[in-house]
Amino acid sequence: MKKPVNAKSTRNGFWALRFKLNGRKISTRVPPTRTLLDFLRLELGLTGTKGACLEGECGSCYVLVDGKPMNSCLMLAPQVQDREVTTIEGLAQNKKLDVIQQKFIDCGAVQCGYCTPGLILSAKALLAENPHPTREEFLVGMEGNICRCTGYNKILRACEQAADAMGLKKK
Amino acid sequence: MNRPTDTLGESAARLHVTAKSSGAYETGPMKVVGKSALRLDAVGKATGATKYGQDLFDKKFLFAKVLRSAHPHAEILGIDTRAAKKLPGVVAVLTHKDVPGTNLHGLIRRDQEVLCSKKVRYRGDALAIVVAKTEEVAVAALEKIQVDYKPLPSVLTMEDALRVDAPKIHAEGNVLGEKHLRRGDAPRAMRDADVVVEDTIQTQTVDHAFLDLEAGRARYDGKMLTIEVSGQWLHEERRLIALALGQPLEKLRIIQPATGGAFGGREDISIQIYLGAAALKLKGKMICLRYSRSESTIVRHKRHPIRIHYKLGAKKDGTLVAAQITFYVDKGAYASTGIAVMRKASSHATGPYKVPNVWVDVLGVFTNNNPCGAMRGFGAAQTAIAYEGLMDRLAVKLGMDQAELRRKNLVKSGDEVTTGQVVPYATATECFDAVLQRIDWKNRSYDTPAPHLKRGYGISIVCFGLGYGDGFPDASRARCRLTPDGILEVYSGACDVGQGLINMIAQIAAEEVGVPLEKVRPILSDTALTPESGSSSATRQTYFTGSAVHIAASELKTQLRDIAASHLQELVYEIKIENGAAFNVHRPERRMTLKEIARVGKKRGFSLEAMGVYKPPTMPENTQTGQSMRAFVTYLFGSHACQLLVDTETGEVKIERYIACHDVGKAINPDQVIGQIQGGVAQGIGMALMEEVVMKDGKIMNPGFTDYILPTIRDIPEIECIVMENPDPGGPFGARGVGEPPLIGTGPAILSAIYDAIGTPIRELPATPERVWRALLAH
Repeated sequence: MKKPVNAKSTRNGFWALRFKLNGRKISTRVPPTRTLLDFLRLELGLTGTKGACLEGECGSCYVLVDGKPMNSCLMLAPQVQDREVTTIEGLAQNKKLDVIQQKFIDCGAVQCGYCTPGLILSAKALLAENPHPTREEFLVGMEGNICRCTGYNKILRACEQAADAMGLKKK
Repeated sequence: MNRPTDTLGESAARLHVTAKSSGAYETGPMKVVGKSALRLDAVGKATGATKYGQDLFDKKFLFAKVLRSAHPHAEILGIDTRAAKKLPGVVAVLTHKDVPGTNLHGLIRRDQEVLCSKKVRYRGDALAIVVAKTEEVAVAALEKIQVDYKPLPSVLTMEDALRVDAPKIHAEGNVLGEKHLRRGDAPRAMRDADVVVEDTIQTQTVDHAFLDLEAGRARYDGKMLTIEVSGQWLHEERRLIALALGQPLEKLRIIQPATGGAFGGREDISIQIYLGAAALKLKGKMICLRYSRSESTIVRHKRHPIRIHYKLGAKKDGTLVAAQITFYVDKGAYASTGIAVMRKASSHATGPYKVPNVWVDVLGVFTNNNPCGAMRGFGAAQTAIAYEGLMDRLAVKLGMDQAELRRKNLVKSGDEVTTGQVVPYATATECFDAVLQRIDWKNRSYDTPAPHLKRGYGISIVCFGLGYGDGFPDASRARCRLTPDGILEVYSGACDVGQGLINMIAQIAAEEVGVPLEKVRPILSDTALTPESGSSSATRQTYFTGSAVHIAASELKTQLRDIAASHLQELVYEIKIENGAAFNVHRPERRMTLKEIARVGKKRGFSLEAMGVYKPPTMPENTQTGQSMRAFVTYLFGSHACQLLVDTETGEVKIERYIACHDVGKAINPDQVIGQIQGGVAQGIGMALMEEVVMKDGKIMNPGFTDYILPTIRDIPEIECIVMENPDPGGPFGARGVGEPPLIGTGPAILSAIYDAIGTPIRELPATPERVWRALLAH
């Protein structure tokens, strides 16, 4: 892996790391081989990001990096140097749930809940890029997330209702 | 009466709740039960605040890793852990010598060593545990452990296992056991039958693939060993851990973290005993352990692959007269719950169809493959694929419509099923008619947009015995308590593994006592706090634990009305509790809140709590004939219909329409019932079309989601749910259950539709494009 430009090697092989996490500046040190997933969960205690397949197939570990959903199980922590990361913990603003979170709850799209954070971030990125997706565009946008409990029907409905609600707000 | 209860107000779900009173159970209008209240744990899950097993880790804790066998079948000559122990950062290395108890576990037969001492029987067998300061060090230390194996010839197929000269996997041989069912004289009736169809069907090994990998932590403080790991039956797990570790039950506390799915995959012990053994050795230290996806897949039991020989005989008019069925069940290396799965296959051998003469033989065979055990459907899922497949074949041979043939032979109220048990409220016909009507069976169209596309329609019917059955002790307990703040606490040891029993419990308690749902606080799954409620399996929690909660809540209510009556100086039978307050029905101004009742009650020495136990009996089967007058506490009915397109050039299947109808007795929370149906159907689609654990030389070739193909949002069509409510007198507010039947109905409906489309059966699951294409080629 190419060493990020401003990363400085420090003692014990730790690398310096600066990035923006859920709107706050973070400056810390990290072993260069630590995955972003483990870094967020074990070092920063943000356990809302889940690991499930650990090979980039299920989307449970999605975080938004500069607004794009990324598998945090496949990224190394130093790769977010100078970038902006949003995790599920950063979605609610002033204790008010994001409309996507609210719709997931209202539509019964949450069962065991393990895929939920990843799915919500997936939908968040999709709707930010395309506020009025067609059914097909939703399917394309969400097919990177595996859910084993719900059969996806309610998830799709939650996403579509969230899009409608966000559209109404704009008008 | 018809009551659409789609609370989301969308026609997309096309939900209708229909009810036909069986006259057995009547309920008045309800305030909380029957409402799609939002999930009580949804906000935590949607914000990432909920803590699952792995979320309890901290950098400063110790981390454990487990060494797995390098061979599917080998003797262990020696284990040398010296080099591993010397590695900096390693705190302890444990082998079988460090497990203080029997070192054995297994749900029905304790035949599996926690850490193997003499022999390994599959590649998931454990040999040693390393505890280190970090996970990385623990992984590095595993590689330093030297195991001296003497490899034995491995037994990978049932044929090999049954040879006289086959290497013995267990001391007693390679046969786990047999199950038999004898009802009438099937061979004779078969000879007299006008039409006979016969086939062999092979189902595949399926993985639960729950997302939340096995993970948890444990600590021994010198008095109490606390283990926080997700399971499906905490109190039974505590018994198994106690035996394996030689500890008294009182010394063990098992707590369930939030659980990301189970589907039967957490029924067998996973990491609990490893953590317990390590914690006992390292007093005062918190120890964490988590599996990777591949370790989870390699170690965990699977759905049994079963080879089913099915012979079905009927009269010219389509009346079934005989069935002869043999199941060969690949058990893998250990017993697990296999013998119960085998019984479920035999007791459900003809599903919802009335057959006067049935002979069933089930043989469970050990191999050096992954152990097989519980998974949603539990033997009945595989069986349904066989009986529905044969019904289709029979319909073709008779020149009869497949729906008409099925309808003619369905079990009706008062009929006996295969076990000889009379089913008092059979609603198979009602469910079947509902889906036929919805899909407009009579007017089904085979027109397709292109000649290489063929359309097919499939139907299936489920008749499923709820609970453990066959006399196995099956009980749920629950406790209700009114706190000084007027909160209704409900304690139950039942595990919410994602299915939503937290709402089921809270809604039943709220309804019975008469409080709003916000005033109920469910406290679940902690052996130190909650009474035993049996396992979250066998579609039993709503029926069993729901009833226990109902009983406890009712007892508590009696106490609360009593307190209110004496305090208000009113007659107790005129006191009603509604919306969190007790009042006189004739003088509603004479009232007091639950908080006041709690204060007064405490002063007067009332306990303000009540226990509920629900233990409806079943009877053991006759081991020769498999007959039992009361094999199961009740039966569940459902029916599915599916419309699909087969691409004859590629073998791909596209589901165009899917309809599932289930009689749940009473939907405590209709929205969650639909969630269970849609989720079950999705898993059924996975099993029918894509999921397969591929084993080679005892090794799983696809232990990750890259190669183990799971349904995504693109693979699952809109699943139209019809929720039928025919109350069951034994369930809370008439509820039956819903967990497994949606999965059981799906595989057969899809395979039936593929057969309808291409005219040749798929005999080996899953029906991947390649298998469908090959079937077309051979046709």
